[in-house]
Amino acid sequence: MIVRDVMTTKLITVTPDDTLSHAANLLRQYQFHHLPVVKASTAGSKRPILEGLLTSQDIDMAAAVGSLSSTDLLHQPWQERRVVEVMHRASLRVTPNTSVAAAAQILVERGLNSLPVVEYEPMEQEGAETKPILVGLLTRSDLLIALARSLGAYEPGMQLIIPLPMGNLTPLAKTLLLAAELHISVRSVMAAPLEASIPVSAVLRLGTINPAPLLARLQEAQIQYSFADVP
Amino acid sequence: MGDARARLAFDAGELSYDFGAEHPLQPRRLVALIDLLGTCGLWSRTNEQQALALRPATLEELSLVHTSDYIAAVQALSNAGVDEQGKDSKQLNQLALKYGFADGDTPVLPGMHEVTSRIVGGSLVALSAVMGLPEGGAFASEEVRPLHVFHPAGGLHHAWPNRASGFCIYNDIAVAIAHVLRASEAKVLYIDFDAHHGDGVQRSFYDEPRVMTISLHETGRYLFPGTGDVLELGRGLGRGYSINMPLEPFTEDDSYIEVMEALLSPLVVSFAPDVIVTQHGCDTHAWDPLTHLSLTMRGIQAQVKLAHQLAHTYCQGRWMALGGGGYDLYRVVPRAWSIVWAEMSEQSLPDALPEEWVDRWRPVWLSVEEQEQAAQQVMGKPPSPAVFPLQFQDRAQDFPAQPRRWEISSANRHTVGLVRHLLVPPSVRQAFPSLQRQSPLAGLFDLLHLQGSATPSRSKALETSAGTLLLRDFCPPSMLERLRPDAGLRAFARLPEREMQLLMSIAKRPDCALTIAHTPDGVIVGQVTIAPGDEWWEGLDNVYEVAIEVSSGWRAMGIGHDLLAFALELDALEDIILFAMGLSWHWDTEGLGMNVYRYRELIARLFASQGFVEYPTTEPNISMEPANVLLARIGKRVDSRVASRFLNRLLSSPNLSGL
Repeated sequence: MIVRDVMTTKLITVTPDDTLSHAANLLRQYQFHHLPVVKASTAGSKRPILEGLLTSQDIDMAAAVGSLSSTDLLHQPWQERRVVEVMHRASLRVTPNTSVAAAAQILVERGLNSLPVVEYEPMEQEGAETKPILVGLLTRSDLLIALARSLGAYEPGMQLIIPLPMGNLTPLAKTLLLAAELHISVRSVMAAPLEASIPVSAVLRLGTINPAPLLARLQEAQIQYSFADVP
Repeated sequence: MGDARARLAFDAGELSYDFGAEHPLQPRRLVALIDLLGTCGLWSRTNEQQALALRPATLEELSLVHTSDYIAAVQALSNAGVDEQGKDSKQLNQLALKYGFADGDTPVLPGMHEVTSRIVGGSLVALSAVMGLPEGGAFASEEVRPLHVFHPAGGLHHAWPNRASGFCIYNDIAVAIAHVLRASEAKVLYIDFDAHHGDGVQRSFYDEPRVMTISLHETGRYLFPGTGDVLELGRGLGRGYSINMPLEPFTEDDSYIEVMEALLSPLVVSFAPDVIVTQHGCDTHAWDPLTHLSLTMRGIQAQVKLAHQLAHTYCQGRWMALGGGGYDLYRVVPRAWSIVWAEMSEQSLPDALPEEWVDRWRPVWLSVEEQEQAAQQVMGKPPSPAVFPLQFQDRAQDFPAQPRRWEISSANRHTVGLVRHLLVPPSVRQAFPSLQRQSPLAGLFDLLHLQGSATPSRSKALETSAGTLLLRDFCPPSMLERLRPDAGLRAFARLPEREMQLLMSIAKRPDCALTIAHTPDGVIVGQVTIAPGDEWWEGLDNVYEVAIEVSSGWRAMGIGHDLLAFALELDALEDIILFAMGLSWHWDTEGLGMNVYRYRELIARLFASQGFVEYPTTEPNISMEPANVLLARIGKRVDSRVASRFLNRLLSSPNLSGL
């Protein structure tokens, strides 16, 4: 899975010269926490160049500092300050082809909540530096949704657990063959190692309201299964 | 027969909804039902007072819910099944795969468009008849127009707008409801009693505040379709109108009945629907091969009775009942749906099933019995007794008690507590206390007035720009009876008369304090209730919830401020923790002409005047919506350990499992 598959592409953005009050309203209106800051690229192209990232935390901080300080430097109310003054430069970025695992690791290790997704586009004149074009945003929520989706949670289905003694995947393989034979669609299969490094069970999400025929075949083939809380 | 204005809608054409001999859903169960009703003399299709003429739904009606590409695909697959397998078969296979017909659950059925349209039309006509809409047909007079209709072939609740799922092709329920939304101003309550979550109907109206969907089902942790969690609450304007009550496997009758009683009435009151649509899937029964809820006819009968009673109490009788799941085809379905019809038409059932009917259908059951037993066993259920019932009611000895009964019913109670906490507004919750909560208090009055005031109920005059108002706390029922509600007093029950009934129930409860503001000629214009914290706060003593309401015509005069101050003149004020939850979906922001954030500020300021402070919390209603707010006041003499337990609870995880 790569970032392109899970990133958010319908982006609400601000420009460096917008006021914090405008940014705060956007965050509140759309109920999220990250605003990419962009400026238009060279005339003719509509693709936005990434300038930085503004988070609701940055705004909270600016508001808090603004209300504490009465020096001349900061006497301007925080609402009137400009985005460019408080945004981060967002030097950590990923591209649409970055693997989701690598992006997840960056988020966790750096304690970030989101990463801008950019493509690098050479400028028109020779020798000019490439500019990062914003194409998406990857947030922790996107990763959680990707996890839920890969567990099959967005498709109607039921869950079945197949124990895999000693990490032996044969019962899982047999189950999948039987499901195919009985025309039962498999929405997802998860057999991730939870202990040591071998998977001890597989969790299947089956697109059926009527598992009885499959279960009967599993019993015939002496394959263990459970629904966990149904003894 | 009773003179109930009830009809049963059935058309032999509906029996072609048949996926073949190996499929769990068999139309023969309807044949057995109709035969049973006929043999008992309860219904006859030739009796014009009992039957209802049906017609297929039009394409335009189907498209109220279903996408045009899906309808086109169903039509193509439906016709292709009849034709020779031609060169288009690859394309048809792709259609089948894309629209949910590729697996064994809902296989392509020749003519399926026509037969499903017929079933959809049946539910649409039935609901229109109940609502007095022209599509319901013409009746000699209003007196013979049905108030209740039962359409047993309907109830295809799993169909999505753009795919077939779980034996369902088109969603007759959603189309019928969507038709009512279009043709009238009515609000529709849908209650889904099927053992599987009513996902298709919920999905069709997930952002529609005119439809409340309530689904009681076996938890989706393992069972199809996997959805129906408590936290699926609706979206946008529809937030709070999707209610899900996932039940533990092996719930059984007693816990099921307790759950229904604790939830349904308060939800109906808070929604104030014009009509009730119920789906009576009887796969909840212990003998059903696909599920684990373990009900008997007693639980199913209680469910049907309650639906009937709700329709008469809250919807002037308007009620459409539908069939649904039910895969013990001959032992359960005919009896369960006879109970629906008998209840609806106010006819009594004999104790025994007619012998001739048993003689006709027991052999049919015997021929599939072995398969049924095998299915029970692979589903991890105890074997059901190999008997064909001879009575409408089940015999207790055929249903051995589940070993984990106590554990299962307390898990269900926790879920009920969470649903009530999240979805029932505070005043309604207090007027319909849940069974498990018996107040330990002798009376809230004594607790809040430790020094013992001279009079149990104080009063005070308040001058306002609209005249004098009288404030009164601990308002006794005898006094409330002499008053009447202002037309704008309807924040919680939506109708002033019902709001009044709520106040009456609250006044009667010793563990609630009701403070009201009324005009000298007896019109109630505002109220404050104080009651012990609900299930969310279980285990915390001295925590009370405050709710306030001022009638829409009496706002912006400072009445709220004075009424709240008066209600909180309590001896024990500094010994207790008070909190209030501001939930934006209860706010009449349109009537106030301000946005939710302004209103939020207003509420925070109103409560701040009495020493309340806003607290951040992970409580789901508050944390899901930034406009919502939790305000609390921790009394000065509250023990610091109690206060810190309260603060910990504010940030606890959003399910009740930690309790």
